[in-house]
Amino acid sequence: MSAEQTVADEKLYVYGIVEDEAIDVSTTGVEAASDVYTISHRKHAAVVSGIDTLDPDESDENARAHDDVLREVMTAGDGRPVVPMRFGMVFDSERALKNVLRNSRVELTGSLRQAAGREEVGIKVLVPEGGLTDPDDTRAAIEAELDDHAEDVEDGDLFSDRLLMNRAYLVARDDRERFDRAVDAVREGHPELTVQYSGPWAPYSFVDFTIATEA
Amino acid sequence: MFLLDDLFLRPITSLLTVIHDMALQERYDVERIRDDLKEVRLLYEVGELDADAYERRKATLESELEVAEAARERLSGRVEVKR
Repeated sequence: MSAEQTVADEKLYVYGIVEDEAIDVSTTGVEAASDVYTISHRKHAAVVSGIDTLDPDESDENARAHDDVLREVMTAGDGRPVVPMRFGMVFDSERALKNVLRNSRVELTGSLRQAAGREEVGIKVLVPEGGLTDPDDTRAAIEAELDDHAEDVEDGDLFSDRLLMNRAYLVARDDRERFDRAVDAVREGHPELTVQYSGPWAPYSFVDFTIATEA
Repeated sequence: MFLLDDLFLRPITSLLTVIHDMALQERYDVERIRDDLKEVRLLYEVGELDADAYERRKATLESELEVAEAARERLSGRVEVKR
């Protein structure tokens, strides 16, 4: 379905913003939307799908669909910069969405430049149930192993007593193999730990862009 | 005599109020329940919980969260959760 064919009453779920170009997305979207497409305004395009609610269910399936669409958009071909939206961004109409694209074009251009050629990856390190005798030293050793291969890092919430580290790293696409090897080295050097390495994600933690939905 | 009883009981009443408020804080600690939800999700993702155990614990926590959010809404201003 093209933007012109959008049903008048249909709302638009927005995944992220890209530079305006033809995008073919095969991933199923939020609320099982079969058609993910773009709505353009000048240099930018919003990746969207139709939805019939302003408040989509924050289920595991929907959250995964949101991430999967963004991952397909950002990794297709040689990779494409994307400014990701947080889960749940719904616009009442195409006109409202285009207003945001129009009013935010300077910020969007800057954010897309920030995202170009970079990916976000996540590292969560879990300690065994009994904990560690030297958690601070262990954490410092892991940081020393990983930090040199990333352009930026953000500490996340330690929401569990089992978490020693919860970090997002911004890694240049060209440095991903080096970063992967560093993660392998952490796993080999600390077999007592569980390391969850996730991504690539759209750069949620590093691209500074917020939308005012009333725009 | 009445006055003496009243004064004698007052500290007990205060203590009961404190205990009651603490119980409310523990029961309706929305942030703690959300953290617990994230924890069970993580333990499932790294293979420490199987799918059945994850779904059971998740369902329990989601019910608790619903109750806690509704209660916090009702008690807005009365219960302050200190973290």
